[in-house]
Amino acid sequence: MSYLLEARELRKQYPGKLALRGLNLQIAPGEIFCLLGQNGAGKSTTINLFLGFVEPTSGAAFVNGLEVAKNVLEIKKHLAYIPENVMLYPHLTGLENLALFSSLAGFQYADQELLDYLTDAGLPPEAARRRVGTYSKGMRQKVGIAIAVAKHAQVLLLDEPTSGLDPKASNEFSELLRRLSGQGTAVLMATHDIFRAKEVGTRVGIMREGELVDVRPTATLNAQELEQLYLTYMN
Amino acid sequence: MKSIAQKEFISTLRDRRFVVLSALVLALLLTATLVGRASFRTLQRERQLAQTTVNDQFRNQPARHPHRVAHYGSFAFRPRSGLSLLDAGVDSFTGSAVYLEAHQQNSVNFSQAQQSGSLIRFGEMTVAFVLQLLVPLLIIFLCFGAFTQERETGTLQLLLAQGTTLRQVAWGKIRGYCQAVALVVAPALALAAALLFTGEEFASNTDLLARLVLFGLSYAVYFFLFVVGSVVVSARQASSRAALVTLLGLWILGGIILPKATANLGASLYPTITKAQMDAEVHEEAQHGVNGHDPHDQRAAAIKAALLKKYGVDSEEKLPVSVAGVQMAAGEAYSARVYQQHFAALNATYEQQNRLSDWAGLLNPYQAIRPLSMGLAGSDFTHYVHFQQAAEAYRYGLVQRLNGLQASMGYGDKERRLDAHTWRELPVFAYRAPNLHWALPHLFLPVAALLLWAMVLSWLGLRLISKTSIA
Amino acid sequence: MRVFWILFSYEWRHFRAAKGLVLLCGLLLATGLYGIYYGTTEIERQRQQLATLPELTHRNVEELKVKFPGPTDAGDIGYYHSTFAVHHPDPWAALSLGLRDVNPTYVKLRLLGLHNQLYASDNTNPMKTLTGNFDLAFVLVYLLPLLIIALCFNLLSAEREEGILTLLLAQPVRPATVLGAKLAFRAGIVMALAWLLSGVGMAWAGVPLDIRVPSWLAMSTLYCLFWFGVALVVTAWQRASAVNAVALLGVWLVLVVLVPSLLSLGVAAARPVPQGIELTIRQREEIHAGWDKPKTQTMNRFFGLYPQWRDTTIIRERFAWRWYYAFQHLGDQAVASQARAYAQGLQQRYDLVETLNLFSPAIIAQTSFNALGGSDLPAHLAFQRSAARYHDSLRAFYYPLLFRKVDFTHADYAREPQHTFTSQSEMPTVRRGLSKLLLSVTAVLALGFVLVRRRSILPH
Repeated sequence: MSYLLEARELRKQYPGKLALRGLNLQIAPGEIFCLLGQNGAGKSTTINLFLGFVEPTSGAAFVNGLEVAKNVLEIKKHLAYIPENVMLYPHLTGLENLALFSSLAGFQYADQELLDYLTDAGLPPEAARRRVGTYSKGMRQKVGIAIAVAKHAQVLLLDEPTSGLDPKASNEFSELLRRLSGQGTAVLMATHDIFRAKEVGTRVGIMREGELVDVRPTATLNAQELEQLYLTYMN
Repeated sequence: MKSIAQKEFISTLRDRRFVVLSALVLALLLTATLVGRASFRTLQRERQLAQTTVNDQFRNQPARHPHRVAHYGSFAFRPRSGLSLLDAGVDSFTGSAVYLEAHQQNSVNFSQAQQSGSLIRFGEMTVAFVLQLLVPLLIIFLCFGAFTQERETGTLQLLLAQGTTLRQVAWGKIRGYCQAVALVVAPALALAAALLFTGEEFASNTDLLARLVLFGLSYAVYFFLFVVGSVVVSARQASSRAALVTLLGLWILGGIILPKATANLGASLYPTITKAQMDAEVHEEAQHGVNGHDPHDQRAAAIKAALLKKYGVDSEEKLPVSVAGVQMAAGEAYSARVYQQHFAALNATYEQQNRLSDWAGLLNPYQAIRPLSMGLAGSDFTHYVHFQQAAEAYRYGLVQRLNGLQASMGYGDKERRLDAHTWRELPVFAYRAPNLHWALPHLFLPVAALLLWAMVLSWLGLRLISKTSIA
Repeated sequence: MRVFWILFSYEWRHFRAAKGLVLLCGLLLATGLYGIYYGTTEIERQRQQLATLPELTHRNVEELKVKFPGPTDAGDIGYYHSTFAVHHPDPWAALSLGLRDVNPTYVKLRLLGLHNQLYASDNTNPMKTLTGNFDLAFVLVYLLPLLIIALCFNLLSAEREEGILTLLLAQPVRPATVLGAKLAFRAGIVMALAWLLSGVGMAWAGVPLDIRVPSWLAMSTLYCLFWFGVALVVTAWQRASAVNAVALLGVWLVLVVLVPSLLSLGVAAARPVPQGIELTIRQREEIHAGWDKPKTQTMNRFFGLYPQWRDTTIIRERFAWRWYYAFQHLGDQAVASQARAYAQGLQQRYDLVETLNLFSPAIIAQTSFNALGGSDLPAHLAFQRSAARYHDSLRAFYYPLLFRKVDFTHADYAREPQHTFTSQSEMPTVRRGLSKLLLSVTAVLALGFVLVRRRSILPH
């Protein structure tokens, strides 16, 4: 069985803080894995390790079977990433930003295609031709989503992607995730939102002080049970 | 307000970057003071020695005809002013020695700049250089985050929620920064003062003391301007980065581009003639008369006729005075007057050239402190002209005395010589630099510019601050 | 490479959007053009002033023709007649004025002793010479690095601080490529500016098309590259924009201001120059002692130098011009070794600076530009040597008349030797400057590359 994302005994020591204490994790194609946990639990560190933004102290992270630390450039072709706060070039339009990032990923789209990606992500067509400097956080987030989708990656790494989105846009985003996972994309999403995790995730993992303390398939428990479980770990 | 000042002062002292930078500036200041004193002493000794040598040579001449002595002449060496060890001003670019002889006014030769390659064009490491350009830079690094940082971290809102006003915060910060800057600069100035007044050459010189006090005060105002200016910019800019870039841009514009541009523009706007042309004109006017209708030969003839008439004799041999001596004196008086006119015109042109830069002081504090500092240090252009005039006055007096001696020798003076002791009775050149009282009126514009800046910044700047956004 | 060009082309859009930077580039272009204008007009002014000198000589001759209507003793003419040794600028001097405003561009000479004439200075405004010249070399050496700093201080830190870097580095893009594209784009702009200004300057100054054109361009290019190298090193350090700005400006301050001024102090201390005033005082003593010495003693010493006049009649009269000029000549002889030592001392100072300028590329560039323009100390010393030779030729012209007692006629004015000297570029200095600059560029770029490799560039 080949996993799209895999962590083996992943440890990360920052000066004065052990951020990750030997994480083991496998995510298969089509899976949506939601990481729950408080601030500083190690969720973002995990995502950054998969992105190659941070080097592990020991252990290894794999994307599509490739060790991240040894294939920093190669693995980025296989994954797309939406940060908590998508920041873009403020003097370029949404369309131009999308064109830039897509071309860097190796895709040359026609204007209409770019516009379709943006509108699919929920950005109004007239906004797409405005400068990003005039956008709200939610609008930037939508461009971030479009950038990720347009990359057609097998792996999606999400760090609180729906922060700043209104409930309607959040629902649409969940729809999108389900659609992508149906096409075989593996998703790793760090989130605070227990209910959305239950709703969209196939599995949830609870992190505390750099450890994955519990992993459950979402099908086995309802939202209240998940919340209860989460709170017991936090106390 | 006091507590804000206290907080800024303490946190500045705890900031490692500031400590390193100010240690660097302090080290440079001390080096510059010591180096300044060393080079001051060397040059002063050289010039004093040279002056004593030529004075002795002059006094110990053998029996000579006075006009020979006038051609033998003497030299005037420009002593450096006491405070020039802090601000060398134009001293490196002005000559140090002028040859004083009959009939002509020579140029002041052998400047430091002529004795070094173009390296000197990069600027000299003097105390004034550190104070005028590097300390402001230190102030900028110290103050650019005064408001932007508080805003970025959100502490400004907290401060204001405690009931202080923006204006109070600003003044508190200004006071704290001023204390920190004083801590860096004061030791260097104290050392400079100590060095100055322990040297025997300056002991109990009140004029020097007054100059030094004013020197210190001017720089205090100058630094205050930069502290207030930086705090105002910091309050008006959105981010620390923008504040820093703005301030550095202003520093470059004011410290490097504007002074050079105005000096060059001044030179282009008010062209001067070469010494060769000037000498030729002086010669021509002296020969043919200022108006061209009064030639030298006619004047000489008139003098002879007048002498014959005065003494009621009919031939030169019977005169008690030497006609040549009297004619020489008249010729010298005439040509010196012509020269003075041209020299005054030349200096007037230079003053016009420099005035552009002085007026720019109203826009740029650097161009206000620079002439002020040089003026107080006695190393500016006006002091240089004073020396030139003193040398010329001495030259003229000496030559005329020698002409008088020649005249009194009577007819046939050319065959005779005057005794060697005659030369011992003539005065030698001893330059007394002008005092502060003389120098101050020339410094009115820069002083006014600095004070105006201080008032405008404190008033308008603080008004701007109180209107600034908090978050 | 594909990614590089995408990033490169987007840099253009970012640049266009950053109004401040565009303004700054425009400002530099404007100051550069002013520098060219100032340099060329200044050289033109010097040329015009030098062109008026023959007129002054002519007026002097006219006056003497009136004063001495018939054939006269050549000694009278030698005493009253003055002529000029002139130092014409090379066209390149318009781009780098060097010390042409500090040192006089002509020397007024009479047949009298040389050394109290040779060091005369011209009218100068010391405030102006203190402030220095606003020529193209100043713009390139001083201001261009500041533009590079303004363009590069937030090379990656702006993207990092604005949070864009995370998304950028999540793409299959090597951070080094991002950095490379950004640097290349900025280097392109700065190089274009430097080359444009240099081209305009050369055309305006009307320089001849020879090896010096590529030398100047290579010099400006290498100097720019050096500063981009510094920017690369600082960027690889990966600090905040404000820290970068402070660091870059600090490097500028050290290399362009502090090192030169400290070096200047050091060189003055290490190579003390025998004072020029000593030599003029000594010469005065020698000359004036001539009046009081027995004439035969003076003449015999003079004949030691010029045996060909030994057979001339013994001077019995109270005054004879040839005796007068003989002791003037001997006065020069007495200080000849001192004068040589003085000139050598100055040259040694210059040489020492050239040896030590490896500490600062700014000094290398400035020295080389001045050497190209023939406007630094060596050019002036060469001019002084040339003026001294000219004075010798004047002596060679007058002495036969004086010693053979041939009268000077009006026709002789036209036969008098003339002087002209045009400064030469010091190409060896330029070549050495180029190789030293190449060395500095290589060193700083290598350090930058090593740092970029060692310290992986991260989005946070």
